[in-house]
Amino acid sequence: MFITDIRKDFYEVVANQRVALLVASDIDALCACKILQALFHCDQIQYTLVPVTGWQDLGTAFLEHKEQFRYFVLINCGANVDLLEMLQPDDDSIFFICDTHRPVDVVNVYNDTQIKLLIKQDDDLGVPSYDDIFRDDDDEEGDDSGNESDEGSEPSGKRRRFDEQYLVLLILSTMTELMLMFHLFHRREILFDYEQYEYHGTSAAMMFFELAWVLTKDTKDMLWWAVIGLTDQWVHDKITHMKYVTDIATMQRHVSRHNHRNEDEENSLSIDCMRISFEYDLRLTLYQHWSLYESICNSCYTSCSFKLWTLNGQKKLQEFLADMGLPLKQVRQKFNSMDMSIKENLRDVIEESSNKYGMKDIRIQTFGVHFGFKNRFLASDMVHAAAALLESAEKDESNSDNFIKALDALSRSNLERLHSGIDLAKKKLMAVQQTVASCICTNLILSQGPFLYCYLMEGTPDVKLFSKPMALTLLCKYLLKAFVHSTRNKRCRLLPLIMAAPKDVDKGTVIVVGIPPESETSDKKNFFGRAFEKAAESTSSRTLHDHFDTSIIELKSEDRSKFLDALITLLS
Amino acid sequence: MFCEKAVELIRELHRMSDGQLPAFNEDGLRQVLQEMEALYEQNQSDVNEAKTDGRSDLIPSIKLRHCCLLRNQRCITAYLYDRLLRIRALRWEYGSVLPANVRFQLSAEELQWFGRYKKSLSCFMRSLGGAEAGGEGLDITQDMKPPKSLYIQVRCLEDHGELEIDDGTVILLKKNSQHFLPRWKCEQLIRQGVLEHVVS
Repeated sequence: MFITDIRKDFYEVVANQRVALLVASDIDALCACKILQALFHCDQIQYTLVPVTGWQDLGTAFLEHKEQFRYFVLINCGANVDLLEMLQPDDDSIFFICDTHRPVDVVNVYNDTQIKLLIKQDDDLGVPSYDDIFRDDDDEEGDDSGNESDEGSEPSGKRRRFDEQYLVLLILSTMTELMLMFHLFHRREILFDYEQYEYHGTSAAMMFFELAWVLTKDTKDMLWWAVIGLTDQWVHDKITHMKYVTDIATMQRHVSRHNHRNEDEENSLSIDCMRISFEYDLRLTLYQHWSLYESICNSCYTSCSFKLWTLNGQKKLQEFLADMGLPLKQVRQKFNSMDMSIKENLRDVIEESSNKYGMKDIRIQTFGVHFGFKNRFLASDMVHAAAALLESAEKDESNSDNFIKALDALSRSNLERLHSGIDLAKKKLMAVQQTVASCICTNLILSQGPFLYCYLMEGTPDVKLFSKPMALTLLCKYLLKAFVHSTRNKRCRLLPLIMAAPKDVDKGTVIVVGIPPESETSDKKNFFGRAFEKAAESTSSRTLHDHFDTSIIELKSEDRSKFLDALITLLS
Repeated sequence: MFCEKAVELIRELHRMSDGQLPAFNEDGLRQVLQEMEALYEQNQSDVNEAKTDGRSDLIPSIKLRHCCLLRNQRCITAYLYDRLLRIRALRWEYGSVLPANVRFQLSAEELQWFGRYKKSLSCFMRSLGGAEAGGEGLDITQDMKPPKSLYIQVRCLEDHGELEIDDGTVILLKKNSQHFLPRWKCEQLIRQGVLEHVVS
């Protein structure tokens, strides 16, 4: 069931209890977790935090902790599957689920006792009504009586006795059967429509920030984490642009509420205090921690608009820089060492020139933070740094080690961790750009009919980076954008993309990701989850649907070709 | 040379100046006591001789041996006393149960002394915070530094199994899980290195 009053129905329920937090591995979940941890520290609510990376992890963690805890809070996991059936909990376990994955499973919505959803009910949900999906018990008994009378009518047929009673019963039973079949068919259709497309809702970090605001315990740190959670959804392309702008406006109200004290000159805050400001900043990834040139070359938006994998594209970039009057020497320097005269009007200058080159949306609404003399970060910088730390492909680091590192990087006191994250993010972005360039230049993207397909061979440089789901999804999206800009085939531009990369060489598995087609008005709804399930079933391929996003699966490399064939027949 | 052995004992303790306790050097002690006995015997016979025979030239050697005896005595008492101070500090560091490797370093008498010290400390603690019998007492060996908060956030560095806290609930300490627990429960484990205090 949906929780209406988050303070009364969630916070006050767990106030004197011990809680287990099961947190998924994405940045939005990390930010939500930090906000909740800060609230729990305030009120001395004892908790245990366990990171989980997939359904199996979730099951194991639940089994280990179910004896000791009654209340479980699941962050960014658990809403889109029948949780009670999967975990088989005791009757007194209560689950609070704050998850951005949609659609929310109908059993979770209509369960009144054990599952509480920390999701806003008007959040674009479209849940089918109760009567459409669940029938009362009488009609199920009608089904049984229909069966019995069937058996009764058989011997009468053999004995060739047309008893009136039997005839009436026969007609009634067929009618109820037909109604039941119709209802079941209707129900299946409704559920199919409801569960067909997978998408994302409001950020979990924003939900918990709202809880903090209702409790009037919100601080600037929590606000900043909420902003990072929202930006993560935008950077990884999980929400539409409209939703992003709406949510930014909500955050902007909170930011101005926190900032109004700065306005008078006499009581100005110390330089070490945290200041969050609204920025209409450039869409160049990490540009303030890199050189401007590198940032332009490695940001998806600019690289695709210029088509920087071609010689022509490189020339255009040089023209663009010349048009703005920026000397190459300055542009290749670290951003902080650029001349002040250039940095002052940089945003407006870039916006003007990029309009000429067809890049209308070079600026995006976002927030930046500023504390101390040296430390200025944009929200997207933090997202990229934390994502790089979360999925760093070092050999002897487990998933939970990376989770802890990424969680630490989000605090203001761990700046070296954050800077190491930014360096890793730079390497990751460069690897992504190089892979995109090589895929486009060597025509590795093949059109399979209803979708595009690309397979990263084992010897590709940096292929280890792409064995992780978030990094592979990012590569996938950049690749699709680049492909759309570079291909002349109009039909191919509207196709979705499936990408496969080797995950574990010893076990012989690949990770497969599917993303919806690229368009201006895309609603980011992904149908590959169901498609993958059906294809795996029909070919009995050995797949592992372990990730919380159903459009990311693991597959044995030998089954790759038959799986793809099944998908092609399914989707065409 | 006389008194070498005794100084050797002192040097042994001085080498471990950070409060660690070396094993009880029973051999060294016995040798010093033997030396003292030998010196005493010699002195005894010399004194008798000096008295009866009136030999005053023995007096300096008697004096020398007497000084050596006194020095040995000082060294031994200093050794024993320093060990006792270190053992007392062990109670504050490890709690009332000493780990086996530490207990190995103590002699039987020192263990007895430790037991009596524990008893008197617990008597004292019980008498605080309510003088009547059945008063709650105060555990003064907890919170050696004034705590900032009742609960602290800790991170588990290795799989340690289960931990039971005061209200009976059990917590599973698995690697890389984070917990928010009462401070007094965690101090012991933080000292052992199983948990790490997270300051955010």
